Amino acid sequence: MSAMDPTEVFRQEASELFEVLEGALLDLGQRPDDRELVDSAFRALHTIKGSGAMFGFDKVASFTHEFETAFDRVRKGEIKPTQELISVALAAKDYIRALIEDPQSTDDIIGEAILDDLKRFVSSDRPAAGVAEIVEAPPLAPVHSKQAGWHLYLEFESHILRNGSNPLDLLDDLCKLGPCFVVPVTDGIPFLDEMDPEDCYLKWDVKLHAACDKAAIDDVFMFVSDEMKLTLSPLEQVEAPAPAPLFQLLDEEPAPVVEMPTPVVEVVAAPVAVEPAAKAEPKPAVKPEAKLESKPEAKAEAKRDDRGIATVRVQAERLDELMDRVGELVIAQARLTQLAASGSDLSIKMIAEEIERLASSLRDTTMGARMVPIGSLFGRFRRLIHDLSRDLSKPVEFVTTGEDTELDKTMIECLADPLVHLIRNAIDHGIEDTATRMANGKTEQGRIELAAVHSGAQVLVTVKDNGGGLNTARIRAKAEEQGLIAAGAVLTDHEIHQFLFHPGFSTAQTISALSGRGVGMDVVKRTIENMRGSIDLSTRSGEGTTVTLRLPLTLAIIEGLLIRVGEGRYIIPLSAVEECIELTAEDERSRGRNFLNVRGKLVPFLKLREIMTASGTPDRHQKTIIISTGETHVGLVVDQIIGNHQTVIKSLSKLHSDVTIFSGATILGDGTAALILDVAQLVALAQSKVEKQHISEAA
Amino acid sequence: MIQAAEHQARAMQVIMIGLGEEKFALDAGLVREIIDPVPVTRVAGARAFVPSVINVRGNVIPLADLRIRFGMPQLENSADTRIVVIEIELDNEPVLVGVTADKVYEVTEISQTDVQQTPRVGMHWKPEFIRFIAKWREEFVIVPNMERILN
Repeated sequence: MSAMDPTEVFRQEASELFEVLEGALLDLGQRPDDRELVDSAFRALHTIKGSGAMFGFDKVASFTHEFETAFDRVRKGEIKPTQELISVALAAKDYIRALIEDPQSTDDIIGEAILDDLKRFVSSDRPAAGVAEIVEAPPLAPVHSKQAGWHLYLEFESHILRNGSNPLDLLDDLCKLGPCFVVPVTDGIPFLDEMDPEDCYLKWDVKLHAACDKAAIDDVFMFVSDEMKLTLSPLEQVEAPAPAPLFQLLDEEPAPVVEMPTPVVEVVAAPVAVEPAAKAEPKPAVKPEAKLESKPEAKAEAKRDDRGIATVRVQAERLDELMDRVGELVIAQARLTQLAASGSDLSIKMIAEEIERLASSLRDTTMGARMVPIGSLFGRFRRLIHDLSRDLSKPVEFVTTGEDTELDKTMIECLADPLVHLIRNAIDHGIEDTATRMANGKTEQGRIELAAVHSGAQVLVTVKDNGGGLNTARIRAKAEEQGLIAAGAVLTDHEIHQFLFHPGFSTAQTISALSGRGVGMDVVKRTIENMRGSIDLSTRSGEGTTVTLRLPLTLAIIEGLLIRVGEGRYIIPLSAVEECIELTAEDERSRGRNFLNVRGKLVPFLKLREIMTASGTPDRHQKTIIISTGETHVGLVVDQIIGNHQTVIKSLSKLHSDVTIFSGATILGDGTAALILDVAQLVALAQSKVEKQHISEAA
Repeated sequence: MIQAAEHQARAMQVIMIGLGEEKFALDAGLVREIIDPVPVTRVAGARAFVPSVINVRGNVIPLADLRIRFGMPQLENSADTRIVVIEIELDNEPVLVGVTADKVYEVTEISQTDVQQTPRVGMHWKPEFIRFIAKWREEFVIVPNMERILN
């Protein structure tokens, strides 16, 4: 647990970088002119290369280097990122991922083929850019060799010294690359009494007169790159460093703001140590052009800096452990509260209340720490849609909203597969082909919206397409053919659509590689229900289909309603509870007809005493709790409603997997276990009872 | 390897428990802990031999009743009643299960020479639930096959 495998750390880091890279590449397809996207793709590539080399992934490093070199022309703005180029770049990204994750499964030939493609695209429009090339720097790797060197501006975080990094050592390393002219920038130094002796206030302005690669410079700062800002720009001078040009160089130095001569602290390996007489006069107005050019990069770098400070990487299992501990604490606290309430000691009651408050805020904080914005998941689907829309030649616009909606980490992982199914279905079955769309007067490009939004204690995730909508008649015909319903049975559209979730049900006339095998929707439904969520379908013929997933915020702790049936106590998830009403004697008498009249609406009800085979005599005043899943309401008749309960969910073991009406268990304040009712199953049970009644009445 | 296995078969650490009139030897390697009876929570609709769940150190685990599996009469809890928590593999996953015992005798060793062939006749329980029958202090004890019993 203590020492993590560094290779594993690299893999984790790389997988995040891949997401960044992929996101940037896909965005680039939409906004080819966005410089920041190119830069962020480039930066991701570069970090992969750097850390790859560091951890011994030499193949990764060399391939990424080639990739980077080819992509460099895009970065320089010499060529536009076309769709084809982006497709190849994505393939290259996949190849790197394969190299990292499973080097055995890849072949160098694939890599070479991708590189060839990449180079072909990159050099294809060379003639157009030819003129610019002569004026500007020539393309690809050799570009650096014709430069006189680099102009670096180094700004370290003030705490860098405390981490044991010594900027001077780094400058020494830099000097090994070639002759350096180092000028410290002292304008950040505060007055003596405000100064923290452990902070680093100096910045450096370095001119490196060596025709080295940018990568070589980055290598120097590899270990501190998160704690510094490095602004790099090529030096235009052709001459090798000599005393005279050095003075010239000094003239265009960014002038210090402070009204005092800046001392040259270090001039290492430079042929002459120069007195800074020439640059003593301050020139605040003049800013070097090179610095302006590299501004976006610096800005993005700064963004990354902020993130580095604000987040700490924690292993997921530690969070899980923390959640377990908090769960136990909540249970122990419930026992304490119960004990305190039964006694008469006021001071114990006060402590119990204090601990209750602390435990509940600790619970909220811990759950908050497990929350991850769903955007991390949405990002993955952009690639899926990109590929699907290409393979099926259905142009699709993909819109996501609510990326910052937060969900429990485990839920996000569980959601990935169901959403893949839904999106595939939407593209394959939902969106019509271009010809049909045109014929129906729709835009050529289909549209898929993926949205997440908070709604009370639930999160709604919707997948919406603007395709043809569900073909209710065909679903019905198929259901009749499979013997799921009798021909001519009266069903609402909503009921018919539920057959889509039936295992092995597919209306696709042909089975494509993507969908149509009828596995999928039932899996989706099961996965969502396992997360204690529900799924809704709504469709309008010709306008599209919307699938809504309703999910609880977390899997670990829920608010529950504690009830008593006979001698047993049970928990109903509070999110499913609509209202609690008293069961009147009139309702009770209407045997055989298990319907309640709730404000003019007929609601079927279940007597939990019967389901739980409770012993003893029922309470005189039976209560009904109306629960709902989506549109359907069902009443549950119980003996007593005890009250709210913070429910830490424990799963039931395999030995009880055949019991479907319970979704889990929890531990009550007195240390006994209580079972949590599975709302979806109870609703289904009530509905099947109603149907049976219909049948028996009809007979 | 073979020798080790033979040795294991020859000398086996067991925990002797009593169910009704019979004595059973549970492989000590399976046993996690032995606890006093705790309040049980009945699970409606569960199979008869795992009728309830209990809370053991914050985990909700099923409580199995071997007496039901073996068709024996159920006794009221007495001062001797204990719950033996064992860990078995179900579908390649470790599962904790509590087993009610009317009495727990001792931890002991039974050796292979004591092992008797399971008689085909004269048994009022299913032979597949029994790993073998051993002799302990001039008494016949049953070594049950917990995986099969609980599956």
